[in-house]
Amino acid sequence: MNKIKLGLPSKGRLKEDAINFFQSKRLIIKNSFGERNYFFNIEGKNEVEGIFLHAKEIIERINDGTLDMGVSGLDLLQEFPEVYSENVKIFQKLNFGFADLVVAVPKDWLDVQNMADLEEVSFEFREKYGRRMRVATKYPNLTETFFLSKGVSQFRVVASLGATESYPFTGSAELITDITSTGSTLKANNLRIVNDGNILKSSACLFVSKKFQKNNFLKNLK
Amino acid sequence: MKQGLEKKRLKEFFSKQILSSFEKNNFNFTDLDLLIDTNLLTERSGEQFKKTTLTYKDLLGKEISLRPDLTVSTAIKYIQEKKNKEEKYCYFGTAYRLDKKGNLKVFDQIGCEIINSNNKKSQINLINSVLKPIKKIKKLEVTIGDIGLFKILVNSLELPERWKFRLIKHFSRREYFEDLLKRLETNYDLNQQTIEVDTKRLKELKKMDKNQFIGGRTVFEIIQRFEKKLKDPRDNFKGKKNVKIIRDFLKINLPIDKAENAIRLFFFNHNLRNKDLAIYLKKISSVNDALGKKYTIYFKTNFGRNAEYYTGLVFLAYVLNKSKLIEIARGGEYDTLLKTLGYKKDIPAFGGAINLNQLINL
Repeated sequence: MNKIKLGLPSKGRLKEDAINFFQSKRLIIKNSFGERNYFFNIEGKNEVEGIFLHAKEIIERINDGTLDMGVSGLDLLQEFPEVYSENVKIFQKLNFGFADLVVAVPKDWLDVQNMADLEEVSFEFREKYGRRMRVATKYPNLTETFFLSKGVSQFRVVASLGATESYPFTGSAELITDITSTGSTLKANNLRIVNDGNILKSSACLFVSKKFQKNNFLKNLK
Repeated sequence: MKQGLEKKRLKEFFSKQILSSFEKNNFNFTDLDLLIDTNLLTERSGEQFKKTTLTYKDLLGKEISLRPDLTVSTAIKYIQEKKNKEEKYCYFGTAYRLDKKGNLKVFDQIGCEIINSNNKKSQINLINSVLKPIKKIKKLEVTIGDIGLFKILVNSLELPERWKFRLIKHFSRREYFEDLLKRLETNYDLNQQTIEVDTKRLKELKKMDKNQFIGGRTVFEIIQRFEKKLKDPRDNFKGKKNVKIIRDFLKINLPIDKAENAIRLFFFNHNLRNKDLAIYLKKISSVNDALGKKYTIYFKTNFGRNAEYYTGLVFLAYVLNKSKLIEIARGGEYDTLLKTLGYKKDIPAFGGAINLNQLINL
């Protein structure tokens, strides 16, 4: 019989919360091969084979069929092309990993309250400086779709790998979109969230592959 | 439906005939580049353009697109060849676009463009040149519109400047335009509470160096726009009434000989005044005078919103087959396109193309 392949986040708060979630369902994660090994088992469930992976990769692997199920963020699934959602299904939204993907501008941009303001400012910006406003983000697809849906077309996405909040003040971008749970990091970096700039409300989710949706093992997780 | 070789032969036959007709009207044949620097397209139309073009990155990360239409390619050619006088181009080639589902659509276009002409009759001459080779098609009908007329209407309305700006900018994006009208109807716009907090911060900003940059914008720009926003009317600007006027205006669809009077009456009945209206009405009557007897022409205020770069007169030639509209030729005025592609200033430009794929299937 083929073993059930489970992926869990490899580090941080998300890893801890995911392990705790399984524990709450009486499924105890065991690092049978040592603390630094990426493979794990579930006590008394020999039919499951687990691996710790980057949260983004968990979705990739469910999509290509290497994993049957895994824990990752809704934001990460939504950022992938729509076609991923055909193979990667949300089995359950989990009660942790809450965060919003938001549009944030320098707090001193007093004239920018909402996306309609950004739309106007972006045209003025292009007119004045001969280039489009740059939006730094780790979520180019979600950002692009959201901006266009709000009428903001004069922008260019700048891919950010981290410390996105610093971009408007280093000359690398004019504004950003980023994940935030309390807004305090944005505030500490002199940014403020645009009123109607909430792109996505995200949380951790238990994802399963389309083929795995009816597997009996999932009854353990309800 | 014609297949393979027959299609190829028909395309060759029609393209020769049509190009020869264009050349007789002093259009010069030009070969256009198949690939376009994507940046040129996105600088003009924004990121959404990428969703409709087949784009790839070269080894250095530069994005290149297959040409989405031949008008843009002609405009780029005019700029690259450093022209500064009137040019009359004609061309034959393929355009590539992605539909909403991301499927590639291929169009064989044969068309002509007049760039930088000050001749008042050049637009009518061009429409005539495009329609002439397809004149014999049975039940051919033509729709004319004018984007400029919509701008005249919006500018005549009692609306805050920022609303006029939005409505004009997004006229070509139908779904978003509809969304804007709904917002305008409900006067949803500014948040009073935030304004009060920000007015306090404004005092501090005013003490700063006006040339200092904050997130790529100067303190001066921010203050200027904030104050302008406060002065612009926020409530009771008759959003609902204005939306009704816009919706009613966009319903005007008449034989061209009746359009001039109907539009004049529409402005009069709604007590709208604009000194430029007469110029636009004259344009409609001159199209009617020149082409009205040769073709069945309708004037439609809601027409011409498919391409963002159209700025004025637009036309479409089509036949109705079992209530399905088959587009044979289309074109229009695009006076601001060349500047956005890198030319030093706005110049008059007008073009039109015949869709060979549709023509050979008739």
